[in-house]
Amino acid sequence: MGKLEELKAKLNNLGREYAKIKTLRQEERKAFGEQINRQKAALLAQIKALEDAAEDAAVEPIDLTAPFGENTTPFTPASGTKHPLTTELDRVAEIYRQMGFNVIEARQLDDEFHMFDSLNFPKEHPARDGYDTFRTEEGFIPPAHTSTMQYRALTRFRDDLEKYGQIAVVVPGRVFRNEDVDATHEHTFYQCEGVFVSKDATLGQMLATWKNFFETYYGQKLNIKTQPGFFPFTEPSLEFQIEKPASLGGKGDGWLEMGGCGMIHPNVLKTAGIDPEVYKGFAWGGGIDRLVMLKYGINDVRYFESGKLDFLKEF
Amino acid sequence: MLISLNELKRLVKIDLTDDELFKLIGSRLVEIEHVEDLAPKYKKIYVVKVLKAEPIEGTHLHLCQIDAGKELNNYVDPEHDGYIQVVCGAPNVHEGMLAAWIAPGAIVPVTYGTDEPFEISARKLRGFMSHGMLAAADELALGEDHAGIIELNPETAKPGDLLADVLDLNDKIIEVENKSLTHRPDCFGIWGFAREVAGILGQSYRAPRMPAADADVKDEIITIESADICPAYTCAVIDLENPLAVNPYFDFNAAFLAKSGMHSISKIVDITNEYMLLTGQPLHAFDYDKFVSVGGTDAPLIRVRLARENEKLTLLDGKTIELVPTDIVICSGDTPVALAGAMGGESTKIDETTRRVILESATFSLYNLRKTQMTHGIFSEAITRFTKGQPIVNCEPVMLAAAQEIALASESAKVDFIARKCMVPLPLEKVTITLSVGDINSLLGTDYSPELITTTLENTGFKVTVKGETLTVSAPLWRTDIHIKEDVIEEVGRLLGFDNIPLDFPRRPFVCPTVDPMLELKTHLRSVLSDRLGGHELLTYSFVSKSLQEKAGEDPTDSYQIVNSISPELECFRQSLLPSLLDKMHDNEKAGYDHFTLYELNQVSKKSWGLNEENVPKMQTQLGLVTHGDFYAVKHILKELEKSLNLHFELKPLEASATLEPLHSVAIFLGHEQIGELGEVKNSVKKRLKLSRITSALVIALDPCLGAETAPKFGIKLSRFPSVSRDLTFRVPATTSYTAVEAGIKDTLNQIKDILYTLKPVSIFRKKGSETKNLSFHLEIANTEKTLDGGEISDIIDLIVKHLSALGAEVV
Repeated sequence: MGKLEELKAKLNNLGREYAKIKTLRQEERKAFGEQINRQKAALLAQIKALEDAAEDAAVEPIDLTAPFGENTTPFTPASGTKHPLTTELDRVAEIYRQMGFNVIEARQLDDEFHMFDSLNFPKEHPARDGYDTFRTEEGFIPPAHTSTMQYRALTRFRDDLEKYGQIAVVVPGRVFRNEDVDATHEHTFYQCEGVFVSKDATLGQMLATWKNFFETYYGQKLNIKTQPGFFPFTEPSLEFQIEKPASLGGKGDGWLEMGGCGMIHPNVLKTAGIDPEVYKGFAWGGGIDRLVMLKYGINDVRYFESGKLDFLKEF
Repeated sequence: MLISLNELKRLVKIDLTDDELFKLIGSRLVEIEHVEDLAPKYKKIYVVKVLKAEPIEGTHLHLCQIDAGKELNNYVDPEHDGYIQVVCGAPNVHEGMLAAWIAPGAIVPVTYGTDEPFEISARKLRGFMSHGMLAAADELALGEDHAGIIELNPETAKPGDLLADVLDLNDKIIEVENKSLTHRPDCFGIWGFAREVAGILGQSYRAPRMPAADADVKDEIITIESADICPAYTCAVIDLENPLAVNPYFDFNAAFLAKSGMHSISKIVDITNEYMLLTGQPLHAFDYDKFVSVGGTDAPLIRVRLARENEKLTLLDGKTIELVPTDIVICSGDTPVALAGAMGGESTKIDETTRRVILESATFSLYNLRKTQMTHGIFSEAITRFTKGQPIVNCEPVMLAAAQEIALASESAKVDFIARKCMVPLPLEKVTITLSVGDINSLLGTDYSPELITTTLENTGFKVTVKGETLTVSAPLWRTDIHIKEDVIEEVGRLLGFDNIPLDFPRRPFVCPTVDPMLELKTHLRSVLSDRLGGHELLTYSFVSKSLQEKAGEDPTDSYQIVNSISPELECFRQSLLPSLLDKMHDNEKAGYDHFTLYELNQVSKKSWGLNEENVPKMQTQLGLVTHGDFYAVKHILKELEKSLNLHFELKPLEASATLEPLHSVAIFLGHEQIGELGEVKNSVKKRLKLSRITSALVIALDPCLGAETAPKFGIKLSRFPSVSRDLTFRVPATTSYTAVEAGIKDTLNQIKDILYTLKPVSIFRKKGSETKNLSFHLEIANTEKTLDGGEISDIIDLIVKHLSALGAEVV
């Protein structure tokens, strides 16, 4: 006799046993009834478990390691993918927005004024060479940094100084440098620029703001350190580094260079029609591509603009 | 720039460990790219005396006996009593010389740290045991010279000495990032660099005293065309008692040059280079006699001017260049003899016949020199320094010091005469800036005291006068980068450590920030296209080739052309996303993918669109999409976008298109404006782009979609009475449009009172070769006031049939 039949027989017996209740005295009946019911519930549970097991055993095992099932054809699900760079740019912009920054986008063809003049690069100054800019026949410039948007950010949001006492803007965008391409260098890449202006902006606020962005982005407290830098459009100018985050395998020893920052040069404010005697500002900018490469372990920057489905389908 | 740590330690008292020092320099002065520890490279390399060097017959080799000191001799080569046998191939090996010997077991320095370090051993050469090797400068990684082995000065070295001790090679070389010192010409000399190191260590600093030649003055021999090109020019003329063209020994100075990335050339040139490395002030030496002979004068007439059209100059490296009018030249009389700041000329080169030199120390317009650098592609140590804007203050003292040193080295009695011309008023005026302690602390977010600020600035050469809260700061003359109070504030922040600034957040108002609507639109489209419609978003370059544009049917002359593009592949700023997308479609087909949709959201521009109010090219943000499917596939995508954007796009016949087949494509209108097109790619375009499958594309300008009137069109209304459904099939001539039939049905229904309905297409069937087609619809119909009965339904259907018969439609 199988286990299931055995249990069912027991259940029947239990029914017969229960009939004895009539032979008992009134005060004994309750305890007896409860005892029978407990036994019955236990039996029913065992029976259900056995029946379920029998039902599920009807399913044939499959090879869980195979790419697709037997006697079927491989299928391509009609699900699309988003480019990891744009996904990350969205996330970066969203964090800054939550911190209180307006977000505008950079343009991809610009001029000498926005690229250099408005940023306090003296005319013909060798510092202009450091940017390896492309130029069109007409002298237009595919921007070599998102700082080209500083003048626009400052003028577009200038009224905010009166209204809210501050300008707070970030600018993600595509930038271009005439540079030989290899696994870690691209002539086309992405940056995000930030500007903040108020009557009492300080370098301490600059460092705290960017630190907080990275702490939010990486979801952990991070140490930062700086190096003196040189940019004509900030004074003082710094290079900014963060401790390598734990999610990227950091153990508190490595550092990641994240970009340049500093206090906006008074000439830049003046050019944008803001009185540097009254207002002060800070600005910062860094690359996005490397954030994405580190996050996903992408070892070659050339994948980003390759258009390869092999790459895109990984995201 | 390479800085010797030993040199730095001779100038500044450093109590930190090397690593602590590097960290501090990195955080307060300049980024250190790399530190190379030389000590392990020069282990087991000794000074030896060549006792005997006998030619080995039939070879270029010499069999040498060398003395490396008693202990080593016996240890390395016990077979020979009191010397070591080495075979040497250098032509200059000779008896009595002191040479550098790489002992067996040592690594040849130039191969140290490479993938293939070469360990020297004892081995037989031409039948003779050779223990180790005698080394040339290049093998020792101290230069490029391989003409012969180096010879050491017996006054400073003896057999058995470690080469590293003699040449100061137990050193660390700090490579700093030049770019972050673009504004600091004073730091391009090790003495100036040391001043900054002292400053960040909180120490005061005194630069070494330079010798100063005492000589007659003949200022009149210099003329300068304008202060704009050359603010100051000084020179000295020195008679060489003892010709010094070649430096016989590889000495401490030669090693210093090598450690700084330069190499020994001749004694005069070496002295000029050493002073440049120490002070940052480049110097140049002319052969006096050649100089006057070129100018055709008895005494030198030095003229600094801009080059003229069609002038040529042969440089020291033997190359003849065509000068351009922005080049500054040094002339003898009126004949150019040097390209100022960049390179000397062949015609006045120092050589072994030189008996008199003219030593130049000047400063030139960094703007002109930058153009010279770009035009002629000259990137010397000198021009790297000049393009940072060398301060005038260094010209004369460095000239006097180097002149004195050359005179001493050649055993001359004195410098013959000097000449100076300064185009700015003398004495030079210091920049003085008045600011308050509050200015400094409020910009940095610190709480530094006036005393701390004063000491910090004075350690690096500033003079500070304190009056209450007000500081009057005068910058040293070598600080050409200090102009405004923010420059002073940066100095305070940097020297005291930016990393010591307390962090604090800006206060912000409770105002919701705005996001560029285009960014939001793109984010929305990405989720519709990728999450709902199966598209793969890609990013492609903003630059494309003319050939790709032509293949896609575009006119490349309407593209902004990049004049300095990396390659012809990246010559044109793109006008549309489609060529790049179709190109990537081909790549992915080749990679084995089938049935996919690619799209990109990015900016494009065309010359014919003109400029905007900022006088920069008008741009458009486009959605471009390509898919393996027919017209209907891509039309379906547009319909889905239309729904998600809550816009109404009107589709009209497409007159002409660069890339799409007009018979299978439509123009997309938003209001009265055409914003794009969609449809199947022309066969010709497909053929040129090697696309074999059916391919459709969609391109829309997104800018007009922003702020466009939205079109609420959720049209399903419900009746409280039950609806009835009917399937209807009409046979119509093949040429009749679907819309005409659909409109016919709807027109009829719209005229009936109190009717609610939905009409869905079910199938469009046409037998091959038939002149008619069958259109099937599913109709759901209800009345808002009552339940429709069978008869009423039939009446409605009859009305539809009657109405459609005008189109030649019959019910099937």
